[in-house]
Amino acid sequence: MAQNDIWTEKYRPDKFEEVVGQQEIVKRVRSLVQSLNIPHLMFAGPAGTGKSTLALIIVKELFGERWKENYLELNASDERGIEVVRQKVKDFARTKALENVPFKVIFLDEADALTREAQQALRRTMENFTNTCRFILSCNYSSRIIDPIQSRCVVFRFKLLEKKDISHVIKKISEKEALKISDDAFETLYETSEGDCRRAINLLQATASISMDINSEMIKIISSSTKPADIRIVLDYALAGDFINAREKLLDVMLKESISGTDIIKAIQKEVWNLQIEPEIKVKLTEKTGEAEFRMIEGSDEFVQLQALLASFVMAGRGKG
Amino acid sequence: MNLNLAEKYRAKKYSELLGQSAAIDEIKRFLLEFPKKKGLLLHGPAGTGKTSLALALAKENNFEILELNASDLRNRKKLEEILKPATEQQSLFKRGKILLMDEADGITGTDIGGIPELIRILDTTKHPIILTCNDVWQSKMAPLRTACKLVEMKPLNILQIIEILKKVAEKEGLRRELAFLNQVAIKSRGDVRAALNDLQSYASAENLIVDQTERRDVEDTIFNILRKIFKERGDFLDIFDSTTLSLDEILLWIEENIPKEYKNEALAKAYLALGNADVFRGRIYLNQSWRFLIYQNIFQSAGISYAKDKPSIGFTKYERPKRILKIWMSNQKQEKKKSISRKYSHFVHCSLKRAMRDFAILKPILQKPIIQQQIKLTEDEIDFLQK
Repeated sequence: MAQNDIWTEKYRPDKFEEVVGQQEIVKRVRSLVQSLNIPHLMFAGPAGTGKSTLALIIVKELFGERWKENYLELNASDERGIEVVRQKVKDFARTKALENVPFKVIFLDEADALTREAQQALRRTMENFTNTCRFILSCNYSSRIIDPIQSRCVVFRFKLLEKKDISHVIKKISEKEALKISDDAFETLYETSEGDCRRAINLLQATASISMDINSEMIKIISSSTKPADIRIVLDYALAGDFINAREKLLDVMLKESISGTDIIKAIQKEVWNLQIEPEIKVKLTEKTGEAEFRMIEGSDEFVQLQALLASFVMAGRGKG
Repeated sequence: MNLNLAEKYRAKKYSELLGQSAAIDEIKRFLLEFPKKKGLLLHGPAGTGKTSLALALAKENNFEILELNASDLRNRKKLEEILKPATEQQSLFKRGKILLMDEADGITGTDIGGIPELIRILDTTKHPIILTCNDVWQSKMAPLRTACKLVEMKPLNILQIIEILKKVAEKEGLRRELAFLNQVAIKSRGDVRAALNDLQSYASAENLIVDQTERRDVEDTIFNILRKIFKERGDFLDIFDSTTLSLDEILLWIEENIPKEYKNEALAKAYLALGNADVFRGRIYLNQSWRFLIYQNIFQSAGISYAKDKPSIGFTKYERPKRILKIWMSNQKQEKKKSISRKYSHFVHCSLKRAMRDFAILKPILQKPIIQQQIKLTEDEIDFLQK
């Protein structure tokens, strides 16, 4: 393996016994691998809980040194449509796997990013190559995966990592990298990473690049840099009835850091509760926010929907709406 | 000489091809490895230099080149007659030879059998065959995708286009105020040929602003539509029949101009109506339910119009939509961030989207030289991170 100094990779578990949390899942997957008879799998759960890690361990256990030739990793949200996915699967599936393992493994990350039509096509692809390939699909929400696919997979539900699990990982890394991290700083790290281990490790490494002595303040500063900072300003303009400036500022925030509409809406949803308005208006605006988020997922234009949402805020600010 | 600028200033050497160093490396490797793969499929949007790259390859290696345009020989018979002998003969002067098949997406066309024949030829050819096409992911290209090495050509960014325009404008003695070149570059959307064609056609007409000429007709009709919505409240049902603009484009025009007509509460209501129109637009695309068009249509006309009690009066100077342009320009600026994130995401098994979202946290990590080396960042990308 090439040298790797990105900690999420450097400290990624290589073996089943190194995996933190998800003990039930690890046990079951392990016995499947030992029997050399794995069905299609689906890993459902939040980001940073070990889905990719477990997939990688599976192929390393199955194929040893030669795992790379027998493993294809695709990310549904990055590929240019199901045609591309299908073509890559086809190319990969054409050659045979190692003699002792009768199949190759395809890991399709963020499968819930595929539309229903694309998932139908994926289902056919899974059927066509079932003799030579096993699929591991990963998704955040299994409910977004169509039933025919779910029924072809054994579904594993990953839970958010517990505090003690994250703590274990962070302590181990801090020791190896000779970092000093106070209890207080760990608290902040845990809270800001929200149970996402990848995020916790990235935050740790980013902070460590400034100082080996890690304190809570530094973590807060670095983690806040990913949040769309000026959302509050946008909402304040809107509530004050200044739609034009709210809209201008919104476009600014989105373009400056190329933040997607769905991330903006999540930030708005959180910010609503901090606004200086009556609680019942907060509830109303939350309803509007949820509706806007749903519309986006359904395929509406992100910016047009955000504008409409700002309009709702303007109405609420005038006591109507 | 009556040569168009795009032809006249076609890049002739690798070093003259801007922004395609990755593709050039790939094509060099292809030649070294020949005949591991016998065909090279260059794909990418128009005006990114696919043909130029193939011609430069011939020139740099002193190869004889046989150029075939797929639109001249679409079917099996023609291919067999012309291409097959060429692939089997030695070059006349004992030099190397390559075959260039431009616009391979044009193949098959009306007659069938073109692509299978081409695959057979690729199997037997003694010389490298270079094919170009725009969209390599159409299903008919599938057999060629596997038979050939694929090399993608990316659209140029705005600064690279400006650089080319400047050089050409200088040599030709054409207008070269930065504002003008800027406009031409933006309009080109990364297509060098389009940029040079525009430079040529606009440069001769003094004091002409780029967009006004060709868009005037379109704008007349869209202005009429906006007037009907905001001021006249006529018959809404056939309001969009007079224009060739799509409903989506009209939606952008309305979005841009609502603030010019409405204030306060009416303004908010108008954007709510626009949001509703957009919901139905989304549903049309989601399920191909064209029945929903009527709902988009009504929200986008009457819905907007009745956001206000009384229609506006007087003259309003409407403006063309700026949002899409802003997004495109900002994407241009984000290009580096994207290419870095892409390399990083492959390396750590996460999605490009996630890497982009967490970029602010990743930045200090990616500033370490050793990591930059491990994920193979280019000089440009490293510079970007230092900023």
